[in-house]
Amino acid sequence: MVKLAEYNRTATFAWSHDKIPYLASGTASGTMDADFSNDSILELWSLLSTSSDKPVCSIKTDAKFNDLDWSFDNKFIAGALDNGAIELFSMNDSKTTVSSVTKLLKHTSPVNTLRFNPKQTNLLLSAGSNNNELYIWDVNQCSTPSTASSYTPTSPGTAMSSMDEIKSVAWNRNNTRVFATAGANNPYASIWDLKVQKEVLHLNYTSETTGSKPLLSVVEWHPVSSTTIATASGSDTDPVIVTWDLRNANQPLKVMNTGLGKGILSLDWCAQDSGLMLSSGRDNTAQLWNPEEGKLLSQFPTRTNWCFKTKFAPAVPDIFASASFDAKIQVQTLQNLENTFDKEETQQKIKESESEFWNNVSNEEPSQNQKPTVLELQTPKWYEHQSPAANWAFGGKLVQILPDGKGVSISKPTIQGLEPNEVLND
Amino acid sequence: MVSITNAHNDLIHDAVLDYYGKRLATCSSDKTIKIFEVEGENHKLIDTLVGHEGPVWRVDWAHPKFGTILASCSYDGKVIIWKEENGKWSQIATHAVHSASVNSVQWAPHEYGVMLLAASSDGKVSIIEFKETGTSTPIVIDAHAIGVNSACWAPVSYQDVESDSNKPTKELRRFVTGGADNLVKIWKYDNDTQLYVLEETLNGHSDWVRDVAWSPSVLLRSYIASVSQDRTCVIWSQENNKGPWKKTEVKQDKFPDVLWRASWSLSGNILALSGGDNKVTLWKENLTGNWEPAGEVQQ
Repeated sequence: MVKLAEYNRTATFAWSHDKIPYLASGTASGTMDADFSNDSILELWSLLSTSSDKPVCSIKTDAKFNDLDWSFDNKFIAGALDNGAIELFSMNDSKTTVSSVTKLLKHTSPVNTLRFNPKQTNLLLSAGSNNNELYIWDVNQCSTPSTASSYTPTSPGTAMSSMDEIKSVAWNRNNTRVFATAGANNPYASIWDLKVQKEVLHLNYTSETTGSKPLLSVVEWHPVSSTTIATASGSDTDPVIVTWDLRNANQPLKVMNTGLGKGILSLDWCAQDSGLMLSSGRDNTAQLWNPEEGKLLSQFPTRTNWCFKTKFAPAVPDIFASASFDAKIQVQTLQNLENTFDKEETQQKIKESESEFWNNVSNEEPSQNQKPTVLELQTPKWYEHQSPAANWAFGGKLVQILPDGKGVSISKPTIQGLEPNEVLND
Repeated sequence: MVSITNAHNDLIHDAVLDYYGKRLATCSSDKTIKIFEVEGENHKLIDTLVGHEGPVWRVDWAHPKFGTILASCSYDGKVIIWKEENGKWSQIATHAVHSASVNSVQWAPHEYGVMLLAASSDGKVSIIEFKETGTSTPIVIDAHAIGVNSACWAPVSYQDVESDSNKPTKELRRFVTGGADNLVKIWKYDNDTQLYVLEETLNGHSDWVRDVAWSPSVLLRSYIASVSQDRTCVIWSQENNKGPWKKTEVKQDKFPDVLWRASWSLSGNILALSGGDNKVTLWKENLTGNWEPAGEVQQ
């Protein structure tokens, strides 16, 4: 009925890759707390904790965060800091403390974003706000302060045209040498190949309605197909999510219009089900799509400010988190159907007298129990498992589902010891 | 052996025979439930029940003393109660107390009346009691963070009232739940507060608990089987309905695939385990308290 957790922080975040995940939050750059504190802090939260006020552990940092990512082997949390540093953190084995591992100082401007490689888990890609500042780090080579100071990150090579500020990076999930970038002010997304040390492809989208080329600000790869990618436009004039097959990059596969007329700031294509994708942005809300069919599935309740990052918990995609400038990170379940209790509550509200309404209206948090609008109920793939689901019945009969999953058999198994006259094979 | 091929257009998730072994209910990702009449080697499709808006995960027959009644649960978050009267099936109740997929549904022992236990991905279990007045009051409990995969009633049992041997024994109403937090939890009904309270948390798996099954045997020892995505099955046993639960692994090494389901025979001594490799294996306890294979299942 309610969200799983709500952390009252204006912070960017990253999920750990555990089945019972931790969430790391880092004070968002460019924001100020209600108490005008200028502190920046990295905090770790457990979903099993009953309190949403107390993190498991935390550490103060020198600067605020533009982005956070957690390596796929769970070893490092990398923070993209406002002061140009990348800071690596790690949790201890008993998951009770977090410490700073090292700082990587190479960027000459604020680090905008960073991502760990899903397959080669020691590779970290970072993008700064100055032109051409795109680096690849091998964290195995620079995870101590002494090695970090002498370490030089790899540059991905030559750009096709002069690069602008990069806001979004994404490693290809199958081909470890390939990644994509998108900027703040470019109408194109770039595909890079480290094998040939250069940018190999530009993607741009011409709107069918306006004829203009919207700015592409977010890139996200398909979880399985190495040639399929999604881009999203950050401009309010044409806020679309477009999927592409790079083998024919002239024409999009699907164009999804959010219908809300505001730029998109975040995409996440579900690793376990390529038929699910989350988006969020300046329309103050998150949406769930089927990007393969180009369909909107669910529209999550509107918040009071931009939702700048929305991500599935990587090992438990039933859960996702969404961070907004409304000073909250919300953790909720993908499915959040309206039930009878919600309906009763609505009925109760309608019965309120006029004076009761005006008494209560200021005390309530209006969005507390809002439900997403489900346009289509699509069952995620991880639910649809196959099993013989054997059940015993009267008379020693066993009912089981046939291996093809479409039929049923009822048999009477021979139980050793119960029918001693039967000759049993070992 | 009865074999019903192509019963559904999509994956079947559960198939259950009724009390007398005469009717079979199946449910599927095609959102329907089918009722078959089974007689000897023959079978006949009686009806197709349409009403759920998502895959139907499980079905359970009510005790026949309440009529021909079936409960089903689905990804659509609902539990639907179906009833047959004069050869016609219809929906008699819908319960939408959960806000996510309802993953298991089970009728309570008939001694408790008409009562259902449902487990949901929203992290809660619900107990719905159908009173004679026709209304039902759901009790909803926060059971497992991140989701409940299965819930199962204990057979009716009684506990001695320790202080006074002249007092009658007290009914002990319990159930077990298994969740996405890798835990197994045992819940007990408190007659004074009329609430269910957590009695025990059993920590023995390293991945999601997919199914829990409480043996229907009414001996002095209770048995619970829990199966998990970690490819193990644990048997939890307790003496005389009190004291600590003992953990025994059915097999020292892991099963070849994820274990999805566990089912005890009606006498409670043979355990059937269903795996992701489409294999069903049978197990029984030997005299030394270890578990050993109990026989073969025809494929």
